[in-house]
Amino acid sequence: MEGALAARAEMGESPRARVARWTAGYRPAPGRPDEFLGPDGAPRGAWPRLLDRLGALTEPEITARFVAAERHIRDAGISFRIAGDQREHPWPLGCLPLVIEGAEWQALSAGIVQRAELMEAILADAYGPGRMVAEGLLPAAIIAGTPEFLHPLHGVVPPGGHYLKLYAADLCRGPDGRWQVLADRTQAPSGLGWALENRMVLARTFPDFFQDLHVERLPAFFQAFRDGLALGAERADPRICLLTSGPYSSTYVEQAALARYLGLMLVEGDDLVMRDGRLHVRTVSGLKRADALWRRIDADFLDPLELNAASRLGVPGILDALRNGSVVMANMPGAGLVESAALAPYLDGLSRRLLGEPLRLGHPRTWWCGDLEGLAHAQANLDSLILRPAATPQRGAGRDAILAGPVLAAERARVLAALRDRPFDYVAQEAAPLSTMPGWERGEAGLSLVPRPFVVRVFATRTPLGWQVMPGGFCRVSEREDLDPIEMRLGIRSADVWVLSEKPVAAPVIGSHAAPRVRRVGGHLPSRAADGLFWLGRYLERAEAVIRLVLAHLRSVGDAVGADISGALDTPAALALRTLLHEWGATGAAGMPTARLAQEALAGSERPGSARAHIDAARRNAAALRARLSGEAWRVLADLNEFLALDPDRALTESQLAGRAERALSHLAALSGLTHENMSRAEGWHFVELGRRIERAINTCTFALALANDEATPGCLGVMLSLCDSQISYGRRYLQGAALDPVRDMVLLDPYNPRSIAFQAEAIARHLADLPALAADGIPEPHCRLAARILAELRSGEAADFDAVRLTALETDLERLADGIAARYFPTGPHALRPEKLTGLA
Amino acid sequence: MIYTLRHRTTYRYGKPVRFARCALRLKPQDGEGQSVLASAVTVDPSPATAVMRRDYFGIDAVAITLDLPHTTFSVEALSTVRVERPAPPPLETGTAWERVRDAVVAGRELHGRAPVHFLYPSGRVPLLPEVTDYARPSFSAGRSAYGAAHDLMLRIGQDFRFDAKATHVYTPLAESFALRAGVCQDFAHVMIAALRGMGLPAAYVSGYLRTVPPPGRPRLRGADASHAWVAVWCGEGWLGLDPTNGVAVRDDHIVVARGRDYGDVAPVDGIVSGSGKQRLKVEVDVIPDTETQDLALVG
Repeated sequence: MEGALAARAEMGESPRARVARWTAGYRPAPGRPDEFLGPDGAPRGAWPRLLDRLGALTEPEITARFVAAERHIRDAGISFRIAGDQREHPWPLGCLPLVIEGAEWQALSAGIVQRAELMEAILADAYGPGRMVAEGLLPAAIIAGTPEFLHPLHGVVPPGGHYLKLYAADLCRGPDGRWQVLADRTQAPSGLGWALENRMVLARTFPDFFQDLHVERLPAFFQAFRDGLALGAERADPRICLLTSGPYSSTYVEQAALARYLGLMLVEGDDLVMRDGRLHVRTVSGLKRADALWRRIDADFLDPLELNAASRLGVPGILDALRNGSVVMANMPGAGLVESAALAPYLDGLSRRLLGEPLRLGHPRTWWCGDLEGLAHAQANLDSLILRPAATPQRGAGRDAILAGPVLAAERARVLAALRDRPFDYVAQEAAPLSTMPGWERGEAGLSLVPRPFVVRVFATRTPLGWQVMPGGFCRVSEREDLDPIEMRLGIRSADVWVLSEKPVAAPVIGSHAAPRVRRVGGHLPSRAADGLFWLGRYLERAEAVIRLVLAHLRSVGDAVGADISGALDTPAALALRTLLHEWGATGAAGMPTARLAQEALAGSERPGSARAHIDAARRNAAALRARLSGEAWRVLADLNEFLALDPDRALTESQLAGRAERALSHLAALSGLTHENMSRAEGWHFVELGRRIERAINTCTFALALANDEATPGCLGVMLSLCDSQISYGRRYLQGAALDPVRDMVLLDPYNPRSIAFQAEAIARHLADLPALAADGIPEPHCRLAARILAELRSGEAADFDAVRLTALETDLERLADGIAARYFPTGPHALRPEKLTGLA
Repeated sequence: MIYTLRHRTTYRYGKPVRFARCALRLKPQDGEGQSVLASAVTVDPSPATAVMRRDYFGIDAVAITLDLPHTTFSVEALSTVRVERPAPPPLETGTAWERVRDAVVAGRELHGRAPVHFLYPSGRVPLLPEVTDYARPSFSAGRSAYGAAHDLMLRIGQDFRFDAKATHVYTPLAESFALRAGVCQDFAHVMIAALRGMGLPAAYVSGYLRTVPPPGRPRLRGADASHAWVAVWCGEGWLGLDPTNGVAVRDDHIVVARGRDYGDVAPVDGIVSGSGKQRLKVEVDVIPDTETQDLALVG
């Protein structure tokens, strides 16, 4: 196949011929509207422009561009989770964008804006006077039957005046070829971040296309959205937080990317707390006010006190901040009400009544079965309708779960029984296949285009001047004709959406209206992030220590090759190393053959203390810090993780293992270099460094207890030096071999040696001094006093004093210091006091 | 009948609690055959903030916060209530249950007392096919809603065993239904699920029940308990049914709050920080005015 392609390229196939070949077999299914070919079989809209431009590229060129795009996606860690699945999957970016002509987009946008206005008006009425129900335009049972009708929010005026700041709609074309809304999204629409990532990847893949095809740009929309989040906040320079559903939610990567792009503080429920009627973030500088919140958790989970009592994601009492207007929220809790499928039959009437105009943008024909006519229609036409839950489905059920497709005979009794007991729980909807757009297929004869079902999500945000629609979107395309791309899962790809303007598009201007205030730090560091950074530092350092132990062991045995190997295994140094690795949980037994032991300690997935386990923990920790880590740091960490996990079942030789250990050390050095050279010297950096320094000091204590005790042999002392990477300095300083006091001084007390405990203690004291103090009375906090005492002991001590008793005391003090830092700065961390529910029947 | 009510709840924590946020729903309902003559709630330690709010369903709740470390938290509610309810209607003459259901679905009322809010599953009351199937025999075509609900109540009273050890406060409905056992909370939740499954609005009622001391013995202090039962919408109004005791509600029942399920009416509800192990003690006295003199002798 490759040969055939190359031959064709050499023959100089013309762009036109290439496009003709791609589209020769393109046949939309009858009755199924298609983006590329109209009902008359003629190409339409913006597709010819896109295909002509693509045709100018040879197939190998196109393939190469997509390979580069996929590599970028993997390297940048753009990934997603399928609900209920622990693994992260690389983001499946489809190959062709959905293209829409500017004129058609204008008409569609007007429909989206009207729908957003309508949803806002329905919400204001349902949570306010309830006129639509009283006038008979909307059945009370539809509102009451939606779990998203949140009673505590009734009568609460949204701070800032609006229920919706972000509205999204899922669209495809109806059987008549016109755009229609499959679902309205008002709860906490996802997809903005994916749209952004897709655009960034395609902008790298086809940089020249954007100019040539006049593709509308996105930054102005994101700027408007960000400005809108703060609209109505009490303070002039508001702190805006993105409340995430947490690192294990399927869209966490997207949420972190958006927080980074929009400059929002990424917080979890535990990071927020209500005090004195206002919402605050726990930061290392104490509680700081949060003025605006973009919530990505469903409203039901928002307040365990007033809403779902079982929620661990929310903030107890947060609804009070909405009642007193001290926090602006996007979207207002309860806004999910208008996602209800049962609203559809009433929307046109509501639009005429509330907006004074008919509904512009339709939806599949829908009948609510709580209405006697609707029920009769559903019962009579079960074969051609789909039956869906009327309300947003209850928790646990898939959001778009379809109860019954065109009903099978065997199912008929069950469906009819459900309709008999509680007909008002269901809607019947016209069943029509999704419309299609072109997707690549790679076959024997090269690339070709085939029709694929798709759904496109478009977004609108409220600005002071009205709704603004994002000129783009988040498109999901199925890889198969019979799979509906309703949710992201395997077999579904995403695609960018290009709106092609008639005229050239001006380059985006960011930060349009007001000049930004100059800042040097990004604001206060949330306690959770500080905790994560601290542990990131500790895990990385611990991994390094394990690798150094392995390497020291391999070398001490390797040096003895040719001499008596079994003797080398029995030296006090080798025994000490094996014991340390075993005690740290890096190996299952201390007495294994060297190669097996080394392999297990480096890469053993089931060993909690292996280097791989620590890197894995560091990576998991870093996942929660995505908004704070540079792409490069993330990539190095991901590489290292992958590298250590490489072919786990193949037995490696000792020299191969030593090579791996050395390469892993280089990776870690690269990471520490990135931290050192690229990370802003703000609070976050102090915590990574504190974690690293404390861990290194504790590890060095442990090593010294095993290898530089009063009985240490010269061999042990040599290993001690190599663990501290200090052999070369030692060799330069002392002519004779390793002796106890000089070695101890070098690894414990020498403040010029960056590996010594004294050096770590100096650094720790400096970092602590740079962090904010809580009390204004000038008295050092307890953990600072402890750090000062440890430092004083090291500064005033002599090598000969540091026997086992003294070293053990030092190790205990360092552990206490780590605990003291955690208690002071990380009240939300994994070991913190969690809020609990009052139990029992009172 | 006039009652004096005392409801004292005490939490003891294993570790000092630094911050607590609670909602207290202890004031008896005013109206629908009840009038509250006096009501007071005292909290120890004294709260940093206390705000009284009437929620969507008309329940009076006091929201309090405590911001000083404490290891004991106690709430005492004292009320005096007059209860004079009309006799329940005849069983089989009211509106047919299907017509009650259709009228609620077609209704144009969305305020917090509207029956439509009590038609749907709620946090503690999922709708389960097996529970609906259990209810079905009581709902013959055209039977009055009240008659059908009353019959269902008697069946639950017969088929379910009162057993305080069988369930706890968080036992899911499916489990207590399968066990056919539980306490008043479970009886009420099962009956609510059964009624809603058939399309009738049903509410959870928290309150107290007058108990009669054994003949010749004085009333023991704190020996009563809080109670829960069901209110069913019968077309014209709510009627109380107590499945635990198999009786229609009249003057022996004192209503505190009516909500969709226990979660809406929990008398003391809240979130505390780092309490460690919690121990709960509840003392309730329900004293009819005819006995107030006796109590003085015992106290």
